[in-house]
Amino acid sequence: MSDTGKMSKTRRPMSPRRKRYWTALGIAAVLGGILGAWLQVDQPGNSTAGLALITNGPLTANFAIGASILWLVGMLVSMAIYHRSIDDHEERAWLWAGTAGWYVVMFAAPVWWVLHRASLAPPADAMLLFVASLIVNGVVWLWLKYR
Amino acid sequence: MNNKLKVLRAMRNWSQAELADRLDVSRQAVNAIETGKYDPSLPLAFKLARLFDMPIEEIFDDGSEGNGNV
Repeated sequence: MSDTGKMSKTRRPMSPRRKRYWTALGIAAVLGGILGAWLQVDQPGNSTAGLALITNGPLTANFAIGASILWLVGMLVSMAIYHRSIDDHEERAWLWAGTAGWYVVMFAAPVWWVLHRASLAPPADAMLLFVASLIVNGVVWLWLKYR
Repeated sequence: MNNKLKVLRAMRNWSQAELADRLDVSRQAVNAIETGKYDPSLPLAFKLARLFDMPIEEIFDDGSEGNGNV
């Protein structure tokens, strides 16, 4: 059982570790916002342009290059700060979540691939595997950190 | 692994958040240790021992006392 009630009486100043932690999450959130807004502006005729990022539809070259750079640089910076600021408990959650996410790919990708070669399944979709892996990763991380 | 963290914290009238701040970890980490869902790393166990001014084995009990294990 937790005692969150006691801590709510006074607002605690943030430790440097917590500041770094929320900075990392903030950078990731801002990046997501920028990508979504940019995609919306890039395809003004499409009311659900934000969803275009998770489909296999075509994108403009400008957006594709910009989004790739933002993802690589932004995630690199965000992850570097994140890993410098997490404690033992969260590091363990991160490692097990990463392992679980990898298992999704490890088990599903070869099965899908051989089934496709026998014409029993459509071609393997890397992004679908990535999303499935990400979902499992997130669920395990949340469970280990907040259960 | 059993531990006396909750009792030691209560004796000092600290909340989980206060203890977390003193250890520079998250409140969830303190809660997970107290409820036995997570065994801290050796550096964190030493930090706890220093904070409470007690040997590690007085805070944590792995249940092996008296069975001849070294």
